[in-house]
Amino acid sequence: MRRHWFFILLSLADEDRHGSGIMRDVLELTSDELKLWPVTLYGSLDELQEHGWIRALDKAPASAAEEGGRKRWFRITPAGRRALSAEVARLDATVRVATRRLAHSGDAT
Amino acid sequence: MSWSRAVYRALLRLVPTELRELHGDDMEEVFLKELTSARGRGTVAALGVWLSALGDIVRRAPYEHWRRRGRRRPKEHRVHSFFSDLRFAVRSFARQPGATALIIVTLALAVAANTAVFTLLDGLFFRPFPFSEPSRLVYLNEKAPRWNLDFTGINYTDFAMWRTRARAFDSMALWSDESVNLSDGSNPERIDAARVTYDMPTVLRIHPVLGRMFTREEDRPKGPPVVAIGEALWKERFGASPDVLGKTLRINSTMYTIIGVLPREAEFPHGAKLWLPFDGDPNSTDNSYSYDGIGRLKPGVTVAQAATDLIAAHGPIWLKSDTSHFVSPRVDLLHDRFVANFRVIGRALGAGALLVLLIACANVASAMLARAIFRRREVGIRCALGASGSRVTRQLLTESLALAAIAAIAGVLIGHWGLKLLLASNSDLVPKWATLAVGVRTMLFSIVIMGTTTVLFGLVPALQLGRQDPGEALGAGGTRATGSRRDRRLLDSLVIAEIGLAVVLLAGGGLLVRAYANLRRIDPGFRPAGTLEFRVALPSAKYKNAIPQMAFYRTLIDRLHAIPGVDHASMITCPPLGCHWGSFYKAEGSSPLAQNEVDPVTLTRYASAEYFATMGLEFVHGRPYRETEGAVRTGYRPVVINEEFARHMWPTVADPTGKRIGSRGDTSSNWTTVVGVVKDVKHYGLARPMIPGLYFPLTRIDTASDFGSFAFTVHTPGNPVSLFPAIRAAVRALDPELPVFALKTMQTALDESFAQARTVALSLAAFAAIALTLAIGGIYAVLSYVVGRRRHEIGIRMALGAQSGQVLRMVVRQGLQLVSIGLLIGLPLALLSARLLSSLLVGVTASDPWTYAAVVVVLTATTALAAWIPARRAAHVEPKIALNESS
Repeated sequence: MRRHWFFILLSLADEDRHGSGIMRDVLELTSDELKLWPVTLYGSLDELQEHGWIRALDKAPASAAEEGGRKRWFRITPAGRRALSAEVARLDATVRVATRRLAHSGDAT
Repeated sequence: MSWSRAVYRALLRLVPTELRELHGDDMEEVFLKELTSARGRGTVAALGVWLSALGDIVRRAPYEHWRRRGRRRPKEHRVHSFFSDLRFAVRSFARQPGATALIIVTLALAVAANTAVFTLLDGLFFRPFPFSEPSRLVYLNEKAPRWNLDFTGINYTDFAMWRTRARAFDSMALWSDESVNLSDGSNPERIDAARVTYDMPTVLRIHPVLGRMFTREEDRPKGPPVVAIGEALWKERFGASPDVLGKTLRINSTMYTIIGVLPREAEFPHGAKLWLPFDGDPNSTDNSYSYDGIGRLKPGVTVAQAATDLIAAHGPIWLKSDTSHFVSPRVDLLHDRFVANFRVIGRALGAGALLVLLIACANVASAMLARAIFRRREVGIRCALGASGSRVTRQLLTESLALAAIAAIAGVLIGHWGLKLLLASNSDLVPKWATLAVGVRTMLFSIVIMGTTTVLFGLVPALQLGRQDPGEALGAGGTRATGSRRDRRLLDSLVIAEIGLAVVLLAGGGLLVRAYANLRRIDPGFRPAGTLEFRVALPSAKYKNAIPQMAFYRTLIDRLHAIPGVDHASMITCPPLGCHWGSFYKAEGSSPLAQNEVDPVTLTRYASAEYFATMGLEFVHGRPYRETEGAVRTGYRPVVINEEFARHMWPTVADPTGKRIGSRGDTSSNWTTVVGVVKDVKHYGLARPMIPGLYFPLTRIDTASDFGSFAFTVHTPGNPVSLFPAIRAAVRALDPELPVFALKTMQTALDESFAQARTVALSLAAFAAIALTLAIGGIYAVLSYVVGRRRHEIGIRMALGAQSGQVLRMVVRQGLQLVSIGLLIGLPLALLSARLLSSLLVGVTASDPWTYAAVVVVLTATTALAAWIPARRAAHVEPKIALNESS
């Protein structure tokens, strides 16, 4: 899975967000490493929608009323959640293999 | 909206429309939020945001486009709607094929006129000469105000002095246009050539295509016989073979070795096909002034500085030989010198073509408007069904665009073809060095023209209709007069503009045609009917001096006399229209020339005694000299002078026969006696004034001098063209190596001399005719429209007892009102613009009342006719039908 997609899905995994919310969250999740600029951000969101992994909400949630504006909010779909879990599992497996390998080579030295 | 938002929004045009439409606002918000927070951290941070955002667009936008490739676009998308607009346009054109074709033809003709004229002007004025840094190139010559000469031609000694002493020039060269006999045994040919100094290519910055140019060492008196040939000759005679170097060419009966091939640009300015070394002698005392010079200024040197520099360089000449400062050097920008003759013509044609285009635009605009007004109901329905005003405007603009595109393509093709035809029929219209080609520039020009016409004739009706209120439009779709005042006013002003512009063109065309007619009526001073001329040039290798030369010529004259049908045959050094040889004379007993006294140059010719009869010259006083009269040993020297010479030398004497003249510099007492005075011949062209001139008998010719070329004139009571083969045969019989050249009837020579005037007059007359047709069409269209709209009202009037004659008069009067306003606007404009033509107007002033009166009469009469047809239709309105229609 692409890195943009992964973090966007991850960002939407706990709550619905709008574009700049996702951007801020992704920045936080990656320790300021990945900043999604508008075209990449919305291009990816559009792509994820086409995959059916997220969907745009018709209106902003009541909790976000004070934010104002007519920003579009996004929510992760069950399919998106499954894709995210699968990716996390794959990463987890990769990380475990890698950790073992590193620990092993560490012993050798 | 802040400027940063505007800029970012503009940048977002780079991403696919779908994405922009969906998330554009959000993207802007995100960007602005970033920018605002970054601004708090300083300008550098803000700049960083801009850069990142730009990088984001540049990196991601291509992917977004790629991702959507092949996808069907949503319905109301712009590009899609353009094609649907186009399909719609084609359908609506197909419904009215006649009207559509008319619009296309109108526009195409206008574009064609503009393409042709633009190509012409581009080649002449806008495109510099085909040399590097042409603005540094200057034309060198000499002037002699006291001889009444603006250009005397350069003397070689003077040139040699300039070349060594002048400081302001990178280089300078001298050339002399000549034509040479080129023969390879069987078919002699006369071709244009030039004698040039070795540095000509250096000045022009051109390089031989093959081989080399002759060197300084080869360009000297009695230098080796080497020749550089042009690309054209190389291809024609040698099939562009690289082995041409070292081959020989027989030029003027001498073998020349080919050492190089020069590119096409070297043909400047008069189309030389080969170049011979000038072989000038700087120490010669020959004081003939006849060559042309060209120089390349050092960078940053102005023409004025160059002139001052050249005059300083000329100093020793004034000290040594020309102590009374008769002749001084002159420097002109090359472009000015060679384009000056075409400037007025270019301006006239350019303005004419532009006016035609404007009129065509106004015409098409009114046609489109009238069409659009009749489509009001359709547009109203579309608006009512939800099409936006801008959507309707766009639809109409697309229609205009489609029409303009078709017209532009057709116009460029017709224009290109028309120009070719024009140039083929009239080779003197443009100089040989001008390259006329429909290239990128012409295409660009046509695209601009097309864009302009689209806007001019498409925008007005489009905006007019796009603005309308659907309810009103649906109501007004019929024949009722409501809501039509605005349309009517617009139509009226378009037609008035057309008429106003047509007046300008008609007046200009009329004046030029009148001038041309006047030109044709000018008496050339000789009898063109039945007279022909041709030239023969004897190579000096074979005919060393005047003794064998004159012997050849006399034999040829005898042979010419023997041709059946020839009643006169004669020879002259310099026949009318296209030749000059000047000298200076004094009257016996006149006081020596005072300081600064004018001493006009005299056209000097040697002619056989029969020349006067051959050309039908009219004697005002005295008689022609006799064939045998004037032989040197008799001591009696007769001369025939022209009226201008008599006027200049003896202003107070009625009949100067018996008076004596001598050469200006001659101090001996060998006087020449005037035996006759002939009427002035328009030697330099019908529109040019004649200078003093005289004719010496052939007996006067010094046998040691060189008379390598003579012109022959022959008269026949029949058709002179029928003599051509016999004349060629007569020359061939005497010397098969000699080409006969410049063989033409005097009528042809005369026609050629005003070919340019004819072309300009005919072009503008054609423009004027198009303008008139379009203006009449405009009047007709508007009145038809008005009558159509007012059927109801007319029906009421007639029901209330109006006579059909009254109705007829009412409609025609409306047409004439439009014409009067158009004339009121157009006439002052025409008077102003005709002044620009004044240098082309022969025998007619720019404010010639007859021309303007004719314009008024023609326009009024034709528009009255154009108004008649719709007026008759109105007069035949059946009140009952008209009244019923409106319900």
